[in-house]
Amino acid sequence: MNLFENIKMAIDSIISNKMRSFLTMLGIIIGISSVIAIVSLGEGGQNTITGEFEKIGVATIKITVKTAEAEKSDFITYKDVGQIKDKISYVKYATPYTYKQGTANSERKSKSAMFVGCNEDMYYIDNIELLYGRFFNNIEFEEGRAVVVIDETAAKSFFGTIDVVGNTINIGPTTSTKKATIVGVLKSQFGMFEGMVDDDMPAFIYVPGTYLDILYSTQSQISEMYIMADSKDNAEAAGILAKNMLMNRHGNRDRDLYKAESLMKQLDQINTVVGIFTAFIAAVAAISLLVGGVGVMNIMLVSVTERTREIGIRKAIGAKTSNIMFQFLTESVIISCIGGIIGLILGVSGAYLLGRLAGITPSVSPQIIIISIGFASAVGIFFGIYPAKKAAKLDPIEALRYE
Amino acid sequence: MIKIDNIIKTYTTGKINLTALKGVSLSVKPGEFVTIMGPSGCGKSTLMNVLGCLDKMSSGKYVLNGKDISGLVDNDLAEIRCREIGFVFQSFNLLPRMSILENVELPMVYAGVPKKERREKALEALRRVDLADRVKHRPNEISGGQKQRVAIARAIVNNPSVILADEPTGNLDTKVTKEIMKIIQQLNNDGATVLLVTHEPEVAQYSKRIIHMRDGEIIDDNEVIDRIVF
Ligand SMILES: Nc1ncnc2c1ncn2[C@@H]1O[C@H](COP(=O)(O)OP(=O)(O)OP(=O)(O)O)[C@@H](O)[C@H]1O
Ligand SMILES: [Mg+2]
Repeated sequence: MNLFENIKMAIDSIISNKMRSFLTMLGIIIGISSVIAIVSLGEGGQNTITGEFEKIGVATIKITVKTAEAEKSDFITYKDVGQIKDKISYVKYATPYTYKQGTANSERKSKSAMFVGCNEDMYYIDNIELLYGRFFNNIEFEEGRAVVVIDETAAKSFFGTIDVVGNTINIGPTTSTKKATIVGVLKSQFGMFEGMVDDDMPAFIYVPGTYLDILYSTQSQISEMYIMADSKDNAEAAGILAKNMLMNRHGNRDRDLYKAESLMKQLDQINTVVGIFTAFIAAVAAISLLVGGVGVMNIMLVSVTERTREIGIRKAIGAKTSNIMFQFLTESVIISCIGGIIGLILGVSGAYLLGRLAGITPSVSPQIIIISIGFASAVGIFFGIYPAKKAAKLDPIEALRYE
Repeated sequence: MIKIDNIIKTYTTGKINLTALKGVSLSVKPGEFVTIMGPSGCGKSTLMNVLGCLDKMSSGKYVLNGKDISGLVDNDLAEIRCREIGFVFQSFNLLPRMSILENVELPMVYAGVPKKERREKALEALRRVDLADRVKHRPNEISGGQKQRVAIARAIVNNPSVILADEPTGNLDTKVTKEIMKIIQQLNNDGATVLLVTHEPEVAQYSKRIIHMRDGEIIDDNEVIDRIVF
């Protein structure tokens, strides 16, 4: 008696008990589909995050001053930024980063604003996409001119349209705003969440760092800057060299005041967290697979009892213990596998459906397909062995006498 | 060739021991047609089950076709049931979810006969019981007499040397009983050794030898006088 016939017999038996077979599979279907959906979404999410980071540039390094321990003379200056860019060959772009909250108003609208003070290199480091106009240039930065770049959402709320290059807008601390010229409009930062942004959200505005100092009458005490290396591989070295240069220029080599963080590292951390999270949920889903397996065993046991007479007849006409064992085992494996395949289909479609809602493209890897189908058959074998053994061990005479 | 010697079969249910066969000895030569009769509970079915290797005896010796059965393990017994013995039951015992043809093919599945050969042999066996036309039907779609013919076809399909029939006509009316007995007699004429259990004296008249049992023992063993031959 060959494998193929055994499978055919098992399928016949499954088909002749459609409803029961389906209910048996249900646990497997739920288990497999949730594992696949979760893992695919998790991997897709990781890819999305990685993609975002790559857009910003994994070659980007954030350098910060440990403000709690730093004295006034330890803070980064615009000159430092310029030197880092000019003297370190790995560094392609460098920008200071300051941040202020305040107000921005047009004739039409007044609202709170977040100002980012930077230089012209921010355009490359932040990978800015402009819809209209340009980013401010080096001269405007050096001279501290009153120019700004705003985003599409802010433009809409201040002027009602988005092509607002050349218009003026008042910016600064709420008590004393000053006129600035809009030189560029960038694409909304909110991406897929655009629809959720409400008009009262603060406007997001790039200003030359030098002008931000004037607006807020602060001496440039820069605690944060970004550099971008010429390649991903040089990012780490660029960070260390920049740190060194800062320590030399400020003569504070003895105190470890500067920190260089590569976004690459952060990406790894985030991916690790997402990975652990995915694994955790997948493990929970896998437990439902075990429950599904117990369901298979349960139904197979019922089936063995129900078919006691059939087993007796088969034995009476010459079936060996191994034939009966194999017959029932095949049935439970096939039920589990069909459940696994249905679960796979549902899981993948579910992942794409949920992914569409969440803006994630799920990543269905061949491994996960193989693993889940393999796992389903393993569940079928593991939970099928006991009932199959029970069937195979039945005494032919007692089985025949069973009503 | 069947030779049993002092077979004892004891059933143990809880603390109660019941000896259904109390030392039965019997010898049946190839080509014989033996009927076993006796009151209900005297051990006829028990004897048939032991002879059919379905049940194990408690003690005694059983030699079938020159082979000692007494000490065999389950798998060997299955092999013997598969190839040497054809069993016909009172309650037909067909598999309800399979077609008639598949039912008849099943013993060959376990005997490892290739698929194509199986179909041919199954149809041939069904022809021998005069039932070659309804092979695609399920057992619940045919009459009792037809079911028993299917069961006989299934019993003979692996060409066993011995056919054991435990009250094969017990559920059938007189007319159908005659038809079934005609088939069994024909099988015997074709060379099979037949052992048959019945309560009906007329049925016994189709055989060549009658054994009477009582209380787990054979009480007499005679040639059939005025045998009915079709
Ligand atoms: N599995 C069993 N467990 C316990 N006792 C049994 C078992 N099978 C049969 N017996 C007993 O063994 C004795 C012989 O039973 P058996 O079935 O062989 O009788 P029988 O001659 O075939 O009767 P009938 O004509 O009614 O079929 C009976 O007393 C019966 O109760
Ligand atoms: Mg009986």
